Amino acid sequence: MKYAIQVSGLKKSYGSQPVLKGLDFQIASGEIFALLGVNGAGKTTALECIEGLKEYDGGSITVNGKMGIQLQSSSLPAHIKPPEAIKLFAKWNKAEIDDSLLHALGIEEIAKKQYAQLSTGQKRRLHLALALIGNPDIVILDEPTAGLDVEARLSLHEQIRKLKTLGKTILLASHDMAEVEALCDRIAILNDGHIVFCGTASELTEKIGKKYLIHMKTQQGTKTLETDNIEDTLLSLLTRLKQTGDKVVDIKIDRGTLEEHFIEMARRLKA
Amino acid sequence: MSGFWYGTALQWKLDMRSKSLLVTCYLVPLIFFLLMGGIFTSIMPEMKNTLIPAMIVMSVSMGAFIGLPPSLIETYASDIKKVYKANGVPLYLGLTAMFLSAFTHLMIMCMILFFLAPILFEAALPANFPLFFLALAIYILVSLSIGCVLGLAVKNQSKLTMIAQLVFLPSIMLSGIMFPIDLLPEAFEIIGKIFPAYWGYRLMLKDGFTLENLWCLIFVFIIALTVCSLLLKRKK
Repeated sequence: MKYAIQVSGLKKSYGSQPVLKGLDFQIASGEIFALLGVNGAGKTTALECIEGLKEYDGGSITVNGKMGIQLQSSSLPAHIKPPEAIKLFAKWNKAEIDDSLLHALGIEEIAKKQYAQLSTGQKRRLHLALALIGNPDIVILDEPTAGLDVEARLSLHEQIRKLKTLGKTILLASHDMAEVEALCDRIAILNDGHIVFCGTASELTEKIGKKYLIHMKTQQGTKTLETDNIEDTLLSLLTRLKQTGDKVVDIKIDRGTLEEHFIEMARRLKA
Repeated sequence: MSGFWYGTALQWKLDMRSKSLLVTCYLVPLIFFLLMGGIFTSIMPEMKNTLIPAMIVMSVSMGAFIGLPPSLIETYASDIKKVYKANGVPLYLGLTAMFLSAFTHLMIMCMILFFLAPILFEAALPANFPLFFLALAIYILVSLSIGCVLGLAVKNQSKLTMIAQLVFLPSIMLSGIMFPIDLLPEAFEIIGKIFPAYWGYRLMLKDGFTLENLWCLIFVFIIALTVCSLLLKRKK
């Protein structure tokens, strides 16, 4: 299998403080891969080592393809206008400007504004456009939707999905579990400098345990039950209802969000 | 147009949009010129002979030490540096583009002073135009190189404001542009000679384009360029 990114035994310390203690993971071409972790877990450090912005102390990183990078904290000169920034970056990368991409990211709407006048969402869109200018094979996004409102976040998700349909490999770091669940093929959880889980969201659910939540509203009140055995629990609940003469008004079953699983895993690791 | 020249032309545009550059490179020097030009030439009519170089030293010092460094800090002590690096824009672009843009702005301001001084205050024009403009260009280059060192070495704007004043004020007060340097105590005269303004002012005076006045400026320029390249390397 051809990997877009291969990381083996990656180590990085800041002074005497080790941050990455031997990371191993591979990202397949065309995959959307997420790095998850609590604050200070080393996600941004790992990304910056892959991006070549930071030197690392040990291990190896192989990147097969051209990278486009959107950093977590990005900035541009206060008075620059989006088309000027795009043209500047395109010229240095000897790349053609793809007007359809600019249209899709809504750059035309903000063309006359200076960078300092852009909203957080508009700045994010501009930085994504800059990352995509050179038509990269691999797109690295560090907290791409941090600080965005719901509408801007959904719009950016749509762009990320479009990139996948174009065959791009996407590596993203995020705190937003719902985002990761909605977008990513695979996730890796980083804790204390190690990858403690690498797989799909459903594999993570399996690993944590198949817990279901049953929210049931009846004429007599509302109940929420947690169970590993959905069939038996439901049957027993409905039997009891029939015996008492109560009636179901509404019933909802869910398996818990990725966020809940992530919190659970973090809790277990801490314990 | 290559990335470098587009970046330089863009920097010129950005500087035009920036109000701080307008203030430090044009507005304050012009107000200073209008006030002090009137005062100096009324109190000491002989200052008409040195008014153009004196006002130029003030304007260039203001633009180079107070105007340029904050723009460099905006780029090199912020996330702009990382964005440039991550997206294939070389780090030297910001420095060289700002240097060239500031050079052009300061040259324009000096030309304004050059043409206004004789009309408003009957200031004497230099005897040798080519040598005068060569001296002016050298002085601007040297001052900007020091401004670049300040902008790359200092990491925040508030510190910069203080440190820039430590270079700007002695440059103005001890260079001899406001009063003859031999009126000052010897210690101040020696301190004044440390600053390029002292030598730049003399280089632009009549018969001042001599090796004695030039070598110190060249020496400072080489040192400043070396320090800039080291600082830039460290920022990688």
